[in-house]
Amino acid sequence: MKKTSSILLEKLVPWCLPVVLILGWQAGASLGWISSRVLPAPLDVGSAFVRLSASGELLDHLKISCGRAFAGFAVGALVGLLLGFWTGTSRLMEQLLDTSVQMVRNVPHLALTPLVILWFGIGEEAKLFLIALGVMFPVYLNTFHGIRSVDRQLIEMGRAYGLSRWQLFREVILPGALPSILVGVRFALGVMWLTLIVAETIAASSGIGYMAMNAREFFQTDVVVLAILLYAILGKLADVAAKGLERRWLRWNPNFQRAGA
Amino acid sequence: MQSNETEYGIVSRVDRDTHGVAIAARGLRKSYGPQAVLRGLDLDIAAGEFVAIVGRSGCGKSTLLRHVAGLEQADSGTLQVGGEARRQLHANTRVMFQEARLLPWKSVLDNVGLGLPGDWRPVAQAALAQVGLAERASDWPAILSGGQRQRVALARALVHSPRLLLLDEPLGALDALTRIEMQGLIEGLWREQGFTALLVTHDVAEAVALADRVVLIENGAITLDLRIPLPRPRARGEGDRAALAAFEGQVLQRVLARDGEASA
Repeated sequence: MKKTSSILLEKLVPWCLPVVLILGWQAGASLGWISSRVLPAPLDVGSAFVRLSASGELLDHLKISCGRAFAGFAVGALVGLLLGFWTGTSRLMEQLLDTSVQMVRNVPHLALTPLVILWFGIGEEAKLFLIALGVMFPVYLNTFHGIRSVDRQLIEMGRAYGLSRWQLFREVILPGALPSILVGVRFALGVMWLTLIVAETIAASSGIGYMAMNAREFFQTDVVVLAILLYAILGKLADVAAKGLERRWLRWNPNFQRAGA
Repeated sequence: MQSNETEYGIVSRVDRDTHGVAIAARGLRKSYGPQAVLRGLDLDIAAGEFVAIVGRSGCGKSTLLRHVAGLEQADSGTLQVGGEARRQLHANTRVMFQEARLLPWKSVLDNVGLGLPGDWRPVAQAALAQVGLAERASDWPAILSGGQRQRVALARALVHSPRLLLLDEPLGALDALTRIEMQGLIEGLWREQGFTALLVTHDVAEAVALADRVVLIENGAITLDLRIPLPRPRARGEGDRAALAAFEGQVLQRVLARDGEASA
């Protein structure tokens, strides 16, 4: 009995500070110490959430934002993955491509925003392009690095045991590079949300970023804070999903095994 | 059948069923840059024979094994395995490396079945049972001990029914007790399956305990070729141990005498 209560306590401790902060924030807002122009009360943010959910507006924006994010991610990650496989397994391709990719990588992809708007206008293509571009490099780099750091001895073993080129890739090289690839994917997810926020704030007529910018014009700080919170939650969800993939695909690796699982 | 052999004393190679292959090397030379590793090496190994190659580190014994495996190409000379020139990797040959080299992302059973076509699971499971690890089939390699990993590697090599098994110091990193256990296992499976075995080791006692012939390589050439005509299985009784020790002494004396010449 005592044991279960101490476990419960241990789980509650990390939440003490956030709860106290939110209570303090609510109290400050209610007592008029914090102007609602600066920061809305937590309850107001909550009611904004309820209001926008009820009208269906929130869900629409959310769907559009997620759709953009994952479409861009899919394109960018696929290109990065394929390029990484290619340069990682072929010396010629590495010599041909790697230097160029490394040079382009050093240009911050968000710096291209004005150019991208000139190319694509402010439609969906521009956002997709920016997200894909930002996602591609971390995936590419980590795929390339992962393939190059696969244990040479295992590759030699695979050859000595009669594996074909494709079998060698599927059974030895790809699983050996996977931990590194997944690091790239997690990093790319961060870039994905960041790029989405920037793209939606600069030029969009829908999505969470648009919702926030629109609310700003009407001084609806509650909606602005709600948008920020949504971005945070989406980012966290994506990270949890990526961690889940790691635990599933890398369960052979003692570093990724859950204690007791 | 097998158990009779020991009663006759010396094992007769002729009446043993063998599916091993013969090896013939003539004037094998290999250099890495200015460093000559093999200097005109000649070696004949009969089908089904167990030959151990000993020598100091860097004498060229592992290089020779890698040539026989088809992992390396000689600069000159000929190398025939089973009557065919050995230029590349061949399906009738399997290598056990110094490290187990198991794929950490595959279960023990999947490791044993690596590269096997068709319905391979029962075959791999049988090979695992042969090395006494049947109940570890679904474990990850990471949780096995060093000795167990090498046993899985042995099963992985034997599941292909190789006609030639190359052993590149596979027991070098194991503790003394596990080593003796593994030696017994390798000897038993070799007697059962009749493949040709080529063992590279720096441990003279191990070479004498396992091999029909112990070959000493010094500076890239063979300087001693000693037959060990002892009954199998070996190293169990008192008398065996004394005889093994005598052969071991003979090889060691040769190695050390060479040192004396060099320093004189």
